[in-house]
Amino acid sequence: MSGGLDIAGMSVRAGGRLLLDRVDFTAARGAVTGLIGPNGAGKSTLMRAFLGLMPKVEGRVCFNGADLLAMPGRTRAQLAAFVEQSGSTDARLTARDVVLLGRIPFQSLWQSGPSPEDARIAWEALDAVAMGDFAGRLYHTLSGGEQQRVQIARALAQQPQLLVLDEPTNHLDIQAQLATLTLLRRLAAAGATVVVALHDLNLAAGFCDHLVVLNAARLAAAGPPESVLTPALLRDIYQVEAVVLTHPQTGRPMLAYGSPTISAVPPQ
Amino acid sequence: MNPPRLRLIVPALVVVLLASIVLAVTLGPADIAPMEVWQTIGHRLGLVAESPVGRLREAIIWELRLPRLLVAAATGAGLALCGAVLQALTRNPLADPYLLGLSSGASLGAVIFLLAGATLLMPLGAFLGAAAAMALTLLVTQLLGGVTPSRAILAGISISALAAAGTSLLIFWAVTADSYREILSWLMGSLGGVVWGEALPVLAGVTVLGGLLLISGRALDAFAFGETAAASLGVDVTRLRWLLLGGTALLTGILVSIGGAIGFVGLVVPHIVRLATGSRHRLLLPVSMLVGAIFMVWTDTAARSLFAPRELPVGILTALVGAPIFLLVLFRYRRIT
Amino acid sequence: MRPLPAFLGVFTLLAAAPALAGTDYPLALDNCGVSLSLPAAPKRVVAIRSTSTEMLLALGLGERIVGVAFQDGLAPEPWTAQSAALPVLSEKLPSPEVVLEAEPDLVYAGWESNFSIEGVGERATLGALGVATYVSPAACRSIVPPKLSFEAVFAEIAEVGAMFDVEDAAKALVAEQRAELAGITPDRRGLTALWYSSGGKAPYVGAGRNAPQMMLEALGLENIFADVDDGWISASWEAVVDADPDIIVLVDGERNSVAQKKALLAENPITSQLDAVMHQRYLVVPFAAAEAGVSNVPATRDMAAQLAGLSITP
Repeated sequence: MSGGLDIAGMSVRAGGRLLLDRVDFTAARGAVTGLIGPNGAGKSTLMRAFLGLMPKVEGRVCFNGADLLAMPGRTRAQLAAFVEQSGSTDARLTARDVVLLGRIPFQSLWQSGPSPEDARIAWEALDAVAMGDFAGRLYHTLSGGEQQRVQIARALAQQPQLLVLDEPTNHLDIQAQLATLTLLRRLAAAGATVVVALHDLNLAAGFCDHLVVLNAARLAAAGPPESVLTPALLRDIYQVEAVVLTHPQTGRPMLAYGSPTISAVPPQ
Repeated sequence: MNPPRLRLIVPALVVVLLASIVLAVTLGPADIAPMEVWQTIGHRLGLVAESPVGRLREAIIWELRLPRLLVAAATGAGLALCGAVLQALTRNPLADPYLLGLSSGASLGAVIFLLAGATLLMPLGAFLGAAAAMALTLLVTQLLGGVTPSRAILAGISISALAAAGTSLLIFWAVTADSYREILSWLMGSLGGVVWGEALPVLAGVTVLGGLLLISGRALDAFAFGETAAASLGVDVTRLRWLLLGGTALLTGILVSIGGAIGFVGLVVPHIVRLATGSRHRLLLPVSMLVGAIFMVWTDTAARSLFAPRELPVGILTALVGAPIFLLVLFRYRRIT
Repeated sequence: MRPLPAFLGVFTLLAAAPALAGTDYPLALDNCGVSLSLPAAPKRVVAIRSTSTEMLLALGLGERIVGVAFQDGLAPEPWTAQSAALPVLSEKLPSPEVVLEAEPDLVYAGWESNFSIEGVGERATLGALGVATYVSPAACRSIVPPKLSFEAVFAEIAEVGAMFDVEDAAKALVAEQRAELAGITPDRRGLTALWYSSGGKAPYVGAGRNAPQMMLEALGLENIFADVDDGWISASWEAVVDADPDIIVLVDGERNSVAQKKALLAENPITSQLDAVMHQRYLVVPFAAAEAGVSNVPATRDMAAQLAGLSITP
């Protein structure tokens, strides 16, 4: 494969409990890889683990030929950006200040402030998430969705080759959800490796090139959406009945959920 | 707040600080004309060959007022810096050398050395006490499951109470009419009788440790969204935390050993400054230092002049002025958010 | 003027004493704003602070002391041996239980603050238990005593003499001290002085209202802090250096000795500039004599002798 993320034998233990059990998966460069699975399956843990943000991690993480866990944190931060699930703060920072945090890995210790280059990159990142008008607003006065977009802009300001996002569509209205995922597709098309945890399976099916399914700390399935998202898998992992349809315009899979209690056909 | 105005804030405050020192050195219980003050300083610096100012009046200016003013400025700068760093590191707006147990620990250490007769080693005692209190606070925080804003403060408050009780116990054991008064004035925080021999280590400490904290403290911006976020921005969280905590413990130890437990500066000043500069530490830290220095220069000048010839412990004044300001800041925050 | 009634009281007491064969009990007294009534002469006394112990010893009441506490050291001659034999209840302030265990009928304290919950116990509490309490009047805080004078010191001697029904001893002691005081010639050189009690960062010094001022006046010395209306204050070194006193009075405490104080003054870059320090012009006064009591007059006489020995060229 031509670069991207390659993870093998990833295990994480905490307090005698296995949070991750020998997980292997790959995320290709230029593609959006979706990480799905029920709550508590280990999606957030997996992302922190392969980004080197957790202690006591076993396993090998190879990104574009380099060992991601072995490199200094600063070097890693120049390659990989992470958007956490909820970014809250008491700090008095404007949206622009928050986006400029993404330039920290590139600034020397002696630098007195953001360079004009940093400022330009920050503006571009804010524009990319359509938050340019909010640059001067204090972060903690923004809505949840606006904060989420500012966090994505911060990650963009790191100009990452690997972009990892934990539930980035939380708090967003449908228009913003679609805009965000479209943005991720554009970044992937430009050559980035994108790994995104999603709980909306229709979004995952509609926007991801590749899906990795986690269940109870283990890898349950991996592959293109149309081969992973089967009624059997959904019944197994989520305990839901669903019909897999095909999107009339995109040709991608779509899920229509059924339920034993609201069945279209009345029981005999 | 527009950036050009902020860029001018540091040079402007430097000018205000220098002007404050220049003005405050002419004020005090002894009635000395500003001209005499300048002649003395010029004479001592070798700028003026002959000075008509008498030996004792020269001593008042050069041996009493000047070292004390510089220590006041350094103490204010150091305490405000420590407060700003600790607030960011623990993500708790209430953090300051007081609440994390540093001041109480330093007091305990210093009182142990004082009562043991090792008056000259008091700074060492204060540092050891501050470091021990910091280590205990962190240990408790870790045992509770890692640093969170509330845990750090709760652990700090309990360690602080423990150290304060230890200090009280020692005072109870060792109290004599004489030493009690000395310890009491020191516990309330006082810069009285500071001499050059004490001023120079303080100035050096604030310069060196202040510089270290200023530079490494800029990575504190990355902590705005917590430790995982900081790590994802390439910050070596563990190393930086130890560096900053060690630096603030050492600096607090040095400051407490000379001035005693001067409260509220470390808590209040960063909050006032944050209203103007926001939370960007590149600006917040140096501006806090300067504002802290100016604040202490004036409160200490008031402490030594207001009730002359009596000496008022400056800690009483910093609390008296600091507490209402802190309340105002709280109300102002409420209006903004 | 506040002092007048007090003085009238003293004179009435002194004048009345010869007419009576002895004290009439119960004896009613006003002490620091607290009225107390003694049913009989106290027989078992606990003395807190050295001034109380010395007063009792000087009046020949050593036999009635059942315990002492919070002493500054042994009493001066001729009572040194006697004071060494007294049972010490506590080096510091004793608790009420320790005091009550000695079964006193009077607790005689040098400081009003000794009677507190943290110390010997509240005066009302002790009174309810049948233990009378007495504070050296010069040390009153709850009422402001007039500026201290030797007459007020003599009044305390007379009052304690009346309380214990030893008025003859009190009269003799007052007469002796009055004569001794009359023998002290105030210095006429117009010298200024600092009364340095303790403290490094902010010196604790004698101001204008209490024993330091009284003794300095008797010596003919001008206290540089005479204008401050208080007994003692934490002063600023700047005010001391500004006044540049001719003489420094050093209070000799057990913990804070004269040698330590001299060293501190000589080493400190500020105080070493003072005329008195450069020329070693010191007077020494024992700690207990720096508060109102029977040692004030002998200490003043002793200081007068030290002062006469200092050659000062202004």
